[in-house]
Amino acid sequence: MDNTHGTDDGSLPPAPPAHLASPTTRNALRVQHQVLISAREFLTGEGFVELLSPVIGPVTDPGVRGSKQLDVDYYGHRYKLMTSGILYKQASLLAFDKIFFIAPNVRAEPPETCSTRRHLAEFHQIDVEIAGGTSADARRIAERLLVYVVRHVLAALPDELAALGRDPRVFAELLTEPFGHVTHAQAVAQLHSLAHPQNPAAEIDWDGEELLSHKTDVPFFITDYPKGSRGFYDRESRTEPGVLRNFDLIAPGGFGELVSGSERESDYSRIVTRIRETGENPAKYEWYLDMVRAGIPGSAGFGMGLERLTRFLTGLDSVWQVSAYPKVPGLVAP
Amino acid sequence: MSAWPETTAARLRAQGFPEAAVRARAATGSAAIFPPEEAYGREVFGASAASHPETADLIDRARLVPPVFAPLRLEKLIDLGREPLFSDVDLRTEIGGFRSAWPVFLSAFGSTQLGSTELAAAASRQAGRLGIPMVIGENVVPVNGYGRGPAGPDSALLSRVRAYLAELPDGAGGVVIQQSTEDADSEVWNLVYSDPGVQPLVATGRLGFELKVGQGAKPGLGGMTVLDAAAAARVGGQYAVTEVFDGSDRRLRSGSPGTFTGEILRQQIRLMRNNFPRARVWVKLHPGRDVAEAARLAWEAGADAVTVDGAEGGSGWAPIAFLDHVGLPLAECLLRIGTPAGCLLAGGRMWEGSRVVKALALGARAAGLGRAALVAVDQDRRDGLCRLLDGLALEASMLISALGKYTTSAVGREDIWLPGAGAHAGLTEDAAIIGDRR
Repeated sequence: MDNTHGTDDGSLPPAPPAHLASPTTRNALRVQHQVLISAREFLTGEGFVELLSPVIGPVTDPGVRGSKQLDVDYYGHRYKLMTSGILYKQASLLAFDKIFFIAPNVRAEPPETCSTRRHLAEFHQIDVEIAGGTSADARRIAERLLVYVVRHVLAALPDELAALGRDPRVFAELLTEPFGHVTHAQAVAQLHSLAHPQNPAAEIDWDGEELLSHKTDVPFFITDYPKGSRGFYDRESRTEPGVLRNFDLIAPGGFGELVSGSERESDYSRIVTRIRETGENPAKYEWYLDMVRAGIPGSAGFGMGLERLTRFLTGLDSVWQVSAYPKVPGLVAP
Repeated sequence: MSAWPETTAARLRAQGFPEAAVRARAATGSAAIFPPEEAYGREVFGASAASHPETADLIDRARLVPPVFAPLRLEKLIDLGREPLFSDVDLRTEIGGFRSAWPVFLSAFGSTQLGSTELAAAASRQAGRLGIPMVIGENVVPVNGYGRGPAGPDSALLSRVRAYLAELPDGAGGVVIQQSTEDADSEVWNLVYSDPGVQPLVATGRLGFELKVGQGAKPGLGGMTVLDAAAAARVGGQYAVTEVFDGSDRRLRSGSPGTFTGEILRQQIRLMRNNFPRARVWVKLHPGRDVAEAARLAWEAGADAVTVDGAEGGSGWAPIAFLDHVGLPLAECLLRIGTPAGCLLAGGRMWEGSRVVKALALGARAAGLGRAALVAVDQDRRDGLCRLLDGLALEASMLISALGKYTTSAVGREDIWLPGAGAHAGLTEDAAIIGDRR
């Protein structure tokens, strides 16, 4: 793989000075700024408390397909950069019932994700967690948050969106119609009917997700993923074993997944068993498991990808275009 | 056996294993599958007593049984327009999603000193040249690290992949990276899958991951390695470190076997398929009493191959009690599995054609070479494994053609006779019913 910056065809980021000086980058970053303002405004109004999330810890979220965690030498201990804040989101509910982070995440994604236009090795999530919440509660907050942010950005930055060539009419259905819902099994069936070879036991693959995303004008949830496709903390249905009470939110127009969320497991023995089902030795989750054993609230929550949301709002080709310092998987960049 | 040329200073020892015979083949290739050439025309030959009666297992004692009537030979005769010969046997097969010129693959060596040295690199190079799949063993990363980049120390894992790729023909072979419960801590698969250096394998569909549920030499125990005290201290957080050697600063480092239930195995396989959609999924089972159920479950969950390691297997360190008294013999594992519902691979003291063909007759698609490969490359770093396989292939061709068959997949239960069939009721009955298998 080419480890240098820039390409003539614009498919990869140029060097920082050219990237930062580009009007496209500046407009995209203004949109991102307004996303952050409006997301904080909405969540605060709903009674959520913003916490600052840890950057490193002895363990992090393992439930991330194919990507590698990055290690940090922390006083001689092997610590991890956060791939997601999930463990700390659950922990934070011991302080407040409703919390959110604007959290940086780092994942050494497989180089093949370089071409999905939706992956960055370093990115941010609007991370939300609700004590005592259900999957439906989390979906409702995600839907209202997205509508609020879109409405705010359309009102705040009409000129910037125009300069980016984004027609505000593409958001008409999003702002007026309820979001769609399909189960994972229904999404798989739909992909099979489109002759797309989707593994029914796995996450919807990148191409399949984009295919479904192109078929709609309104965002939609995919719910009820099969066990084995997600992390150990996504709660398994007690009435339908093997089905997780989780969801993704897919943006229309080929932009794909914006949000992943779920009701969470909070029972100690179930969590330990689920960790084993992901192939790991539970020992490394000591601090988390000690806390779970002592008792944590049941909860539901989600993470909304900040850069993906900004890309959706701006209509840009690639998610790296909305990051000031983009790190595209497999590409060495400052 | 007469003397043979030694190209390197041989030093590896393999007790309880036909080491001398493997060395002879590694040195002289196909010639060693026959009695000495100088005896031709001067001596008469017949069956000898079992070569190693003290270590012979059911597979050694079983016999391949060519038929009088051979309908598949007639098919081949019609196809060729002449009488078929053993040289018409096609040994090519598909092993766990990879094409292979021979029904054999290179097994994992584990993390012992043997598995980490230049012997493993030499074996990798020759396996690449032969175009057979190669498994890289557990704990290689946690023990030896995974250096990358020109400045870093080269890791055992990457140097083996590189050595293999350097000589690998297009369209053949594949590299399978094993991960055990301890390795999961080091994210071996994630690390390999996201490594740009491994992308040539990913892009050509020649990368696989093997979930190590257990191993033949010590069923029910985790990996064991003897380390010096300093190295043991470094891994103390991950392993049990025991002082068992009086007056020595060496320590026994033991891993956990990992806890499995049917649901845990099923979900681990599904997670592998979810997280690494472009890698093949292999599962390695120890010779447990429920091996048939575990194999069936693994195939159902989508495993591309299930490897069963008989209690005869192993290249690493294990307590003598386990080597001598624990685990099912390979033949019993294969008999319990019966007709496999997917690609079944067999390991355990494989080194020559008859044992491999017997394993095929008992349902395996291919056999793994572990200790034999190490001894062969110890005998000759450059060509030992290639010569060993030349001999094995010639022998296998002769045996399979004698059975009236010309592909490895045609070999079946009807082709093997097991002594004391009473103890394995059902086999002889099955054999009578099955007839020639295609």
